[in-house]
Order: sequence, then C-alpha cells, then structure tokens
Amino acid sequence: MKLRIATLTTIGLATFGALYSNLRADATRSVWDGVYTADQAKQGQPLYNENCSSCHGDTLIGQDVAPALVGGEFLSNWDGLTLGDLFERIRTTMPASKPGSLSREKNAAILAYILSVNEFPAGKTELPQQKEVLDEIKISASKPGKK
Amino acid sequence: MRRKTSNVLPLTALFAVLGLTWIAINVSGQGAGYVPSTAKGDWPYYTADLKGSKYVPLDQINASNFNKLEVAWRFKTDNLGPRPEYKLEGTPLAINGTLYTTGGTRRSIISLDGKTGEVNWTYSFREGNRAAIAPRQLSGRGVAYWTDGRGDDRVVFVSTGYRLVELNAHTGAVITTFGEHGMVDLKVGMVKGAGEQIDLETGEAGLHSTPLVVKDVVIVGSSFKEGMTPVTHNNTKGMVRAYDVHTGKQLWAFNTIPRPGQFGNDTWENGSWAQNGNTGVWTQMTVDEDLGLVYLPVEDPTSDYYGGHRPGNNLFGDSLVCVDLKTGQRKWHYQIVHHPIWDFDLSSAPLLVDINVNGRAIKAVALPTKQAWLYTFDRVTGQPVWPIEEKPVQQSDVPGEKTSPTQPFPTKPPNYARNFIKVPDDLIDFTPEMRAQAKDLLARYRVTDRPFNPPLVGDEKGLLGAINVGNAGGGTNWPGAGFDPETHIVYAQAANSSAAGLSVRKPPAGFSDLSYFSGRNDQPFREALGPGFGTAADSPLAKTVGRPQEPPPAPAAGRGGRGAAAGGGGGFGLNVDGLPIMKPPYGVISAIDLDKGDLKWQVPYGETPDNVRRILTEKGIKFGNLGQNGSVGLLVTKTLVILGDNQVTNPGTHPRGAMLRAYDKQTGKEVGAVWMPAPQSGSPMSYLAGGKQYIVIAVSGGAYSGEYLAFSLPENE
Repeated sequence: MKLRIATLTTIGLATFGALYSNLRADATRSVWDGVYTADQAKQGQPLYNENCSSCHGDTLIGQDVAPALVGGEFLSNWDGLTLGDLFERIRTTMPASKPGSLSREKNAAILAYILSVNEFPAGKTELPQQKEVLDEIKISASKPGKK
Repeated sequence: MRRKTSNVLPLTALFAVLGLTWIAINVSGQGAGYVPSTAKGDWPYYTADLKGSKYVPLDQINASNFNKLEVAWRFKTDNLGPRPEYKLEGTPLAINGTLYTTGGTRRSIISLDGKTGEVNWTYSFREGNRAAIAPRQLSGRGVAYWTDGRGDDRVVFVSTGYRLVELNAHTGAVITTFGEHGMVDLKVGMVKGAGEQIDLETGEAGLHSTPLVVKDVVIVGSSFKEGMTPVTHNNTKGMVRAYDVHTGKQLWAFNTIPRPGQFGNDTWENGSWAQNGNTGVWTQMTVDEDLGLVYLPVEDPTSDYYGGHRPGNNLFGDSLVCVDLKTGQRKWHYQIVHHPIWDFDLSSAPLLVDINVNGRAIKAVALPTKQAWLYTFDRVTGQPVWPIEEKPVQQSDVPGEKTSPTQPFPTKPPNYARNFIKVPDDLIDFTPEMRAQAKDLLARYRVTDRPFNPPLVGDEKGLLGAINVGNAGGGTNWPGAGFDPETHIVYAQAANSSAAGLSVRKPPAGFSDLSYFSGRNDQPFREALGPGFGTAADSPLAKTVGRPQEPPPAPAAGRGGRGAAAGGGGGFGLNVDGLPIMKPPYGVISAIDLDKGDLKWQVPYGETPDNVRRILTEKGIKFGNLGQNGSVGLLVTKTLVILGDNQVTNPGTHPRGAMLRAYDKQTGKEVGAVWMPAPQSGSPMSYLAGGKQYIVIAVSGGAYSGEYLAFSLPENE
C-alpha cells in the first residue's frame, strides 16, 4: 500500500513537473527559441519580394514611406510585444496596396522570412498561423538572459 | 365682468404659448445661437483659430498638476470602417463641450460628448471605387465647423473620394440644401494638361487636411499621390477653391499653375505649364478675417525630385501665396524654393502673428517649413521682415535638369533645426572612431556646405546620392507649429536628423513618361507609395496596373542583419554601427521670439530611442536625453507647450509606451509627463467641458490601432 502510494505520488509529481516545465517554457518562449523553419523562411522570401519589397525594400531597410523590418529600430518598436501582435498587424493591414489579401499561411511564411533576416535562429517547428498561438511567442530584441 | 374675462383669457393663453415656444426653442438648441471661440475654451478650428496659433488660454492644467492627469475616456476608431486604422491623424474640434472629428478607414465623421467620449452620432457613406483608389486615404486630419450664430450649426469636411460635404452638427444628417443633396463634387473642375477635365471616378485628386471655414465661405485645397515615382509628369493640376457655405456654389478658383496670360505662366518654360500638375495646397490654410486675406502654402510641382520636364522657376510651386478672401485674386507671393526638386512642399499652416520689431508693429505671417526656416513676412505687403538673401547653390548634373542658380536664405530667425549636414560638426561624435566612420560613409555621396544639394543619378559605381536633410518629412511636416499671440513666441517641434542621399534613376521601360525620378540605377525599381496609400475601406484586390515585373533580387545574404538599420532617418544606410550619422539631439522643440527674430530656447524633443539607448549602453557610452526624430504637432496654453513622443520607448523609467509631455512656455523646462500606450499620431488639442479642462490626442502605430485619448485632472483636483 505504502509502495503504491509512493509510486503514484512519484508518477504524479513527475507528470506535474513535466507539465509545469512545459507551461513555463511556453510562457517564456521567444523569437530566440527556433520558432520557424528554414524551409518556411525560404518560401517566405519570394512572397516578401512580390508583396512587400516595393515599400519596405529588398533588404528590408525601408524607405520614406515604410519602416525598416530589420535591425535595431524595428526590433525596438516591437520589443516586448508578441509575434501574434505583429502577425495580426501584417495580416489585416498589409500589403498596403491590397490589405488582408494574403492567406494566413503566406503571412506566416513572410514573417518567418523577416525573422530569418533579423538572424533569429530557425528550428524544427514551423511558425504557427493562429494569432492566439503566436501570442505565446515574445519578441525580444535582446537574447533573454543577456542584459 | 364677462367681457373682461373673455379678453384676458385668450391673451394670457397667447402669451403662455409664446413663452413656452421661446423656452422650447432655446432648450432644443435650434434657434439658440452659440458662437465658439478659444476665449470660451472651445477649439473651433483644426489650428484652434483662423490664424494657426494652436493656442487656447486655459491653465486649469498647469505645471503643478500635469503629472496628475488621468485618462478621462478613450475612443477607438477600429470599427469606423471594415478594418482598423493604424495612422489616426485627426485633431478634434470642440464646440461648447461637444467634439467633432474624423476616424477610421472609412473616414467617418463622429460627434462625441467631450466629458465622457460617448458617441452622439456618426456619419459615413460608401463612395466605392472612387474612394478606394483616392490618393489620400484613412481618416485624415479632421473636420471644419460653421455656424450662423443662431443655431444653424454644421460640420464641413472633405470625403476620401474628394467631395465637400456638410452635416447638421446636432444630428449628423446631411444638409441637403448644400450643393447636390449635401455634397459638392470637388473633382468637377479639376483638370490636367491644357484644361482637360479629369475622370470623376479615376482621376487623381483628394485631400487630408480640413477645409477652411471663414464667414460664409468654405475654402478647399487639393492633394495628389506621393511625387517620388509618378507615372506621368502630366498629372492633375492643383487648385484652391472657395464655395458659398449655404449653396455650395463656387465663388472663386485660384490656379496655382498660372495659365497663359496669368502672372507667372512664363516661369514654366517651353509651355511646360500644360504638361505638368500637382502644385496643390494639401495642408492647412489660414486667413486674416479683418484684412480679408487668405494664405496658401503651395507644394511641389509634379515629380518631387526631377524637374527636367518643367524648366523655369515654376510659380507658384513651393510658394506662399496671399489671395483676397472675396475674389481669390493674388495679392502677393513669395517663392520659398525656385524650381522645386527637394520635396520641400510647404507643409503646414502659415502662422498669422502680430509682432513688434524694433518698435514697429507688424502684422506678420511666419511660415514653418521642412527646411526648419521660419520665413517671416509682413502679411499685408509680402515684404520679408528680415532680409532673405538669394545665395548661389550647387547645380544639378542630371541630364535635362536646369536648377535655379540661387535659392532664398532667410537671415533671421535662424533655422530651428538642421537643414544640411555640416561636416564634421554635425556628425556623430560619441567616439572619434564613429565620427571617422561617418566621414568615410559620406565619401560615397556628394556633400555640400549648405542646403539645396540637388539629386544626382545614383549608382554603386559612382556617387550614391546627394546629401540632404529634412526632405519629405522635415524639419516641420504637416503637423506644423504654433504660437502665443500675447508674447509673439512661435513654438516649433522639428525633426533634426533626417539625412538622405537623394538620387534619381531612369524609370523602367514603359513605367513613366519622366526621364528620371527617385531611385538608384543599380537597385531594383521600387514604386514609392505614400503612407497609408491603399489602406482605404474598399481598396481593390487587383494588382495596380502599370507596375512592371522586375526579377526578384538575389538573396540578401549577410546584408540587412541586425543592427544595420538605425533610427533617425538612417534608412538610406546613413548610419554608423546602427546609430544615426548625425549627432543628437535627434529632434528638437524650439521657441522663437518673433519680436527679436531669435531663438529663445531649444530643448531635445521626446527621449532617447530604445535602439540608440541599447547600443550606447552596450558600448559603455554615457548619454543624456538625445531626443527622437520625427515631426509632431503641439498645443500651446497659458503656461505650457504640450506634445507627445512619436515613438514607443521602454527605458525602464516608465512602462513601455510613449509620453505626453508638458514644457514651461518661458524656459522649455519639462514640467510633467504622462504615459500613453501608443505614440502621438495626431496633434493634441484642449478645451473646456462642464468647466473642466481636457486634453485630447490621437495615438496609434505598431500594434496599437487608432484611438482618441482624453486626459483630465482627477475629480478632487
């Protein structure tokens, strides 16, 4: 009886611990954690060139009428917000000439490409397309742990 | 006895009826007149008053309590259109505690209770394709107001599709007796070429600014698409027109491009007047009611950076023109830039300040500009108050271009922000190495010792561009400046670090009839769309016709990495280690004493941008308030100058957001700051409602959609 209780308790604690650390990981997931795939970014590049580069530049440095999508100023503007915020902004208002015309899949690919140009690491899982899920990924200009 | 009673009763009844009717009329507001004025705590015009002051004589909110301001109410514009807007630029009007303004991707008109933000009414109408392809979209800068002083109160505005509309201010109902069922089609009468009427649906014309309402006249300007990469130099011609506020009948029209026989036509050589357009008045105008004079700030002719198809000085491009209120006849003019090719559009309301210079009283007009010069004239005669000198400037070597040998340089007041890069003094100086890097960078560009460096044909094999400061965005852009009519001080915020390497290129085959326009030969062609363009409610899903397919560029391996782009206008690659090539302050607020023609004080605007803060901190470099770039509008009260940051920052001293700041009018000392969740995107205003002072400001940007934010003191203050 005692052994069964101990076993169950151990299993329970282990399960709880595993769940808890997953939750913790989700809460602190950021753009530094490999949140898109290299393939996805590769798909995003021609989509970016076709739909975005005319205003934001082929190297994403922007011009008078559209801000940069790479570099310190861009990341400062979005630091502390989530990829969900950025994704929704892009999805509903861009490209400027035909807002809301691109599918969520295409928007996710373009966002993956933007992340790659900003030199955030690629990973094993594709960038999701749902705002609520993207809300769990924080945009952090500096690598967490480094101040 | 019976006879007396029978006489008195009907008379009593008659008086009772009359009395009740009189009460009813006054209580309902119809027939009860209210004439608004800033003296009463109203804000009846975009610029507070007809003279452009942005001044309201209130001091309930002052230095002792500014930090105690709370959000009184907020109004989101998300659902005033099919999608939210992220560029809310309106400044509401306040009339007797009621606000009127625009909002949303549909450019709806809204009336709000000034105490609570509750909606009284909203108005919008579907203009279809005409609005969807309009050159100036989103909600624009606001509305105008007219009253007969006896209860006939109207909201007057220009729709996205370029129609002049009047609404009943109490109900939002269209005034059907105005124009055709409440509307005047402003595209009627707009022409291109030698006088060809533009297509009412697809012709290019629109407006962001508010109409000017004075006496019983409504004056309206005209605006077009961004002029960096136009498809033709033969674009719609700008005009300024006046209409009767009751009937909508046109009273007069002023052609900003003079026709044959009109003064200034010969400044368009080779008959080029007939093959060029733009030259509109897209910003706010002001008027001296007593003198009956209207002041028009005119923009560039077609093609902001190349004038090879319009040799000559091109009057009245980039000119301040004074016209008669009754007739539209030109009284005087002053051209600020001859043969304009720097995108130095006259961008904001001319300020009508009464000043006293060396004992002489002068009714003056002071013009804030992208060049950060405050050109000051006697507004009756057009004579410069202080000498303006024609000085030789760099000449263009672009084929077909013929620049003016000289440009006007005001001697006083001094420029209130930078208008060229003085090498090395204006260059980044955090370390000697950074300054050396800046000099190396500039070696790829043509640098001059004064403004008006003409664009060159940019190419990686040669020079990349001509270094200029303040084009397109200023200096001072559309938000303009303000002044205190009692002290004769002008208050102007200005961008101070917008460096650009201006270059032109041949357009891709078939795209344009211009020989050259903005761009670089060695880079893929990019059509430059204006900010907000295409974001209107019914923007078409079809691709724009006429945009050629260029092969996508090779993968940008290694370029554009983190830290490569900088704040403060480094978008041309003009940055050093991610920092602006020009040294701080990146933006400034200046007080200019117009009695003396001198700067009274100048302080940094806003606070250090996050990316600059991070880079300098990482390098162990100490710094103070470096200010931030950009042009924003301000509000002037009895004791304060009030304006907000146009960038979100997270410096650790306040939550991530932008601050609305108050400065002591006399000294420029920051005396208070309150937090806002998003940057200022429209100019602030202030008013009294129910005896309480409010400040309302439009905020939007990044992930934060448009919102009017109202501040007031807590109840027990």
